[in-house]
Amino acid sequence: MDPISTLDQAISEAPAAVAAVSSLEDLTMLESSLLGKNSPVGEVRRGMGKLDPLDRPKVGVKLNEAAETITALLTTRRAELEDEDEGRRLLEESIDVTLESVTFPTGSLHLIQQTIDEAVDIFVGLGYRVASGPEAELAWYNFDALNTPRTHPSRLESDTMYLDWGDPDDEVLLRTHTSPVQARWMEQNGPPVYIVVPGRTYRTDTVDATHLPVFHQIEGLAVDTDITFGDLKGTLLHFAREFFGPQSTVRMRPHFFPFTEPSAELDVSCFACDGGEPGCRVCGGSGWIELLGCGMVDPNVLEAVGYDPAQLTGFAFGVGVERLAMVRHGINTVKHFIDNDVRFLEQF
Amino acid sequence: MKVPLTWLQEFIDLPTTDVGELSYAFDMLGLTVENVETIRPEWSDVLVGKVLEIAPHPDADKIRVCQVDTGSGPNQIICGAWNFEAGAMVPVAAPGAVLPGDFEIGQRSIRGVESNGMICSERELGLGDDHAGILVLDGDPKIGSPFADYVELPDVVFDLAVTPNRPDAMSILGVARDLAAHFNVEHRMPEIQMRTVEGSTEIEIRVEDRAGCRRFTAREITGVTVGPSPFNVRHRLHKIGVRSISNVVDVTNYVMFELGHPLHAFDADSISGERLVVKRASEGDTLVTLDDEERVLTSEDLIIYDDDGPTSMSGTMGGARSEVSDATTRVLMEAASWDPPTIMYMSRRHDLLSEASTRFERGVDPNLADIANQRASAMVADLAGGEILRGAVDVISTPTAPAVVDLRLSDVERLLGSGFTVDSVSGILTRLGMDVEGSDPMVVTVPTYRPDVTRPADLIEEVARIYGFDNFEATLPSGPSGGLNPEQQRQRVLQTALTGAGLHQAVSLPFVSVEDLTHLRSELAESALLTVKNPLRDEESKLRPTMLPGLLDAIRYNLSRGARSFGLFEIGKVFSSSPDEDDPRLPDQPDRVAWAVVGDVGTHTLGGPTVKADGAVSLALWRRLEKSLGLRDVEVRPSSPPGFHPGRTAEILLAGVPVGHVGELSPRTGRAFEISNRVAVAELDLAPLLRPVTPVKAKTPSVFPFIEFDLSFLVDSSQSVSELLAAMRGAGGELVETERVFDEFVSSDLGEKKAVAIRYRLRASDRTLTNDDAGPIRTAMIEAAQKTGAVLRGA
Repeated sequence: MDPISTLDQAISEAPAAVAAVSSLEDLTMLESSLLGKNSPVGEVRRGMGKLDPLDRPKVGVKLNEAAETITALLTTRRAELEDEDEGRRLLEESIDVTLESVTFPTGSLHLIQQTIDEAVDIFVGLGYRVASGPEAELAWYNFDALNTPRTHPSRLESDTMYLDWGDPDDEVLLRTHTSPVQARWMEQNGPPVYIVVPGRTYRTDTVDATHLPVFHQIEGLAVDTDITFGDLKGTLLHFAREFFGPQSTVRMRPHFFPFTEPSAELDVSCFACDGGEPGCRVCGGSGWIELLGCGMVDPNVLEAVGYDPAQLTGFAFGVGVERLAMVRHGINTVKHFIDNDVRFLEQF
Repeated sequence: MKVPLTWLQEFIDLPTTDVGELSYAFDMLGLTVENVETIRPEWSDVLVGKVLEIAPHPDADKIRVCQVDTGSGPNQIICGAWNFEAGAMVPVAAPGAVLPGDFEIGQRSIRGVESNGMICSERELGLGDDHAGILVLDGDPKIGSPFADYVELPDVVFDLAVTPNRPDAMSILGVARDLAAHFNVEHRMPEIQMRTVEGSTEIEIRVEDRAGCRRFTAREITGVTVGPSPFNVRHRLHKIGVRSISNVVDVTNYVMFELGHPLHAFDADSISGERLVVKRASEGDTLVTLDDEERVLTSEDLIIYDDDGPTSMSGTMGGARSEVSDATTRVLMEAASWDPPTIMYMSRRHDLLSEASTRFERGVDPNLADIANQRASAMVADLAGGEILRGAVDVISTPTAPAVVDLRLSDVERLLGSGFTVDSVSGILTRLGMDVEGSDPMVVTVPTYRPDVTRPADLIEEVARIYGFDNFEATLPSGPSGGLNPEQQRQRVLQTALTGAGLHQAVSLPFVSVEDLTHLRSELAESALLTVKNPLRDEESKLRPTMLPGLLDAIRYNLSRGARSFGLFEIGKVFSSSPDEDDPRLPDQPDRVAWAVVGDVGTHTLGGPTVKADGAVSLALWRRLEKSLGLRDVEVRPSSPPGFHPGRTAEILLAGVPVGHVGELSPRTGRAFEISNRVAVAELDLAPLLRPVTPVKAKTPSVFPFIEFDLSFLVDSSQSVSELLAAMRGAGGELVETERVFDEFVSSDLGEKKAVAIRYRLRASDRTLTNDDAGPIRTAMIEAAQKTGAVLRGA
């Protein structure tokens, strides 16, 4: 057979031969039988020197064509076979993807902390600063500075824990609310005041489902030249919507605290039922959840820290952190907050 | 405070009787509705009937044949009761009526005589326990009218929570006054018709403690007959949960709930020496109060004495000796005003909170005393007979004048916003019974029953309350700017670092016992501890000087409930009896962060090797904190503080200042807390960790290749690796990019030594290093190591 025919035949037979190969090993063997020294193509290449010089260019062109065509076929087929091969290999190393064979540790902040951080961030978003103060506190800051008379029942030992420390005329107690920080902040800083004070507070209460001797509050205080009762309402409405959802509404009811006048209790609309579903587990069917105490800062409180009540007005509020968390998460006893049972903690 | 709607309606014509609307009104007035109870008659078809005539039963001795008119002429009813005569008005259950217990009344024949229904007793109607006879009705009820109307049923009883600043609202009258202001309608006082006779009480009233007793009124009623109260009085008291005692005692309760002024009725004949003296008790005197408790008195108790000693505890509870009994014929009605704190302390000292004391400790209007006295005396005369002596006693030791307060409209607007006028403000105040003169300022005279209103701010509160809290627009203040300060931001970082390591935050009570601390082998003397004067329990009398007891309790708690591997951390204050540096008036109370970890820690692999919590894990947690908080100039050195494992604990120093310890719990302390596992523990001062650090100066990562080599040394077992590393770091210079200890072991073959293997990586920022660079560095590092006593292995 003349070289051209040999090469034509090689070109025409190659596709079938390449397609028939089913492994990379066979493909390598096929490559040498198609393009190797002893292949028809190889033999033509070796015989080039013996050809008539006039024929050489034509055969040369054909030879290149054959080599390129066959190489291209082999390359394509190799890629296909490699893909198949890898596919097989990956399948072989399958794992049970539903089995958690490796776990990274995941801790949690205490729900009290999470609630504090979240509430604080809402007020920080409104431009508030975050203040703190001592837990072992002077009776003066806890009561007197807050317009609480010497004879107020909350000062009795049945309500307040006193410490065996210091000057008997300057009694030191475990603060019963975060409100003393109001007075401390205003003593140290001039107006305007926009602060929230998260912290631990104490009462002479034995542990039961609704009482802890130690619990947490977030106090808020705004004092400026033009703070009104409407501002108090609007601020707490904003808080309620951020914390309980945008559909929330609030209502205020007159109440009494020595350090605010007027004083109010704030209810937030029930987020669990659509307003007063009988027997709702959250609001008990009233449609309202009692949330916190608040009011306009009593002029005596401003005076006690050297602020001029003729120039300044303000509002204050105090919310129980445990209460916020219990309402939102359906927690039925405050004991969970101090048991530190990991099964409770890790839920949040 | 329980308020029956029907009783309230005696004082006010309400524009609505809808329970929802009234509840809303109460809530908006600050009289929080705690509960609403609707009382319905437990019967149907019971009518008021008049007994026309009574005849004996022909065949039976114990029953009688009555002709009763219930609006449709005489009707024959057989009755077994004998406590009534012809002309009596009685409740009649006609045939077809149903009485409590589904008891249906039919027409029947009793011993051959037909009976068309039944005349009922209190018990048969479910209105009380009285079954001695049938219920004979007082007053002039309409024949044939529903008996339910007579007993004011159905009725709604509101249970209101009254705040301590509102003693005036602790009565039906006070509640009516508030509602009148809310609805802008009138209210009315009960009509008092007191018929008196000539004469004065012989009993002398001497008020020696004029500060404790502001006013004392006393009025004598002679010739009374003590007995049960009429049904309608008993029934009203029943609705508000008050037990009926006798006509005289019931009157004192009735008037207290009605007008808000507590009263006390003495048996005048039991007052020894015809004299009552109000004074502080002699220490150790005793008084048996109405509840039959013997009270040992203190010199702070305000007591009413007679010639035989203490006979009544002022404003709190009467004494048994002068109690009104069935034999009483002379009553001395007392209505007195007492100093609120005196009553508060006395009632709490004797653990004796009464309806009277809760009112007096909040402040009862002294100007109401004689009105209440007259009302009560008149009612006694009505219900128990007798004659009121005209000459009554009224000792006023401290007159109570109304407060007069100037109120400017601008002050109202500053607090409540715009939208108020002099007219609207004075209108509201007038509705509250205040007298307003002038326009700006308004000169407001406050009734003495409102002791809480003495300043403009108090008046503004009243304006807001009656205007309605619901009617204020919700607005936001303008202009604040704030945010978390650096320490607060860094505390968030610290929290995230610890939770990221798998720890759960704990919150424990900060109270400990001395015993807990002994377990921790604390070096603290008891005198260094801060003590609660009035602890809940003796074992909670100390405030924690360390965070560890709470965490270890939590570890034990969780282990006992089956948890095996977990870590807890807590952030909180510890306390000591030394003074605080910043405010020496207060005890020292720094914040701490502490942790306790047991069991497997870190990444967990099925069947893979596990890392157990121990001192090394504590150190790793510390390094994580150090890194997250960007702490620099940190020194870690071996330490053995109390409670910690002496060989597995390090002290941490920041800029040379000790900040706490990280390590492992001493097994002995563990045993005291019933923990047998190794526990990784740490306790650190929080403030130095949160102190802001200077920003990191960035280093550009080198793009050139590195050279690595390993060095292995033998060092004394007691020598710390950090010392060796520090020496080599010093010698290595700037080209040392990383050092990594990849092996440390102790083998008996090595004697008192341990082997440490370290991999160093060198890299330059400006060129490719060659072995010519690395060689001298390596040599210098080895020499530095050898100077610490380390011996190069495989050399």
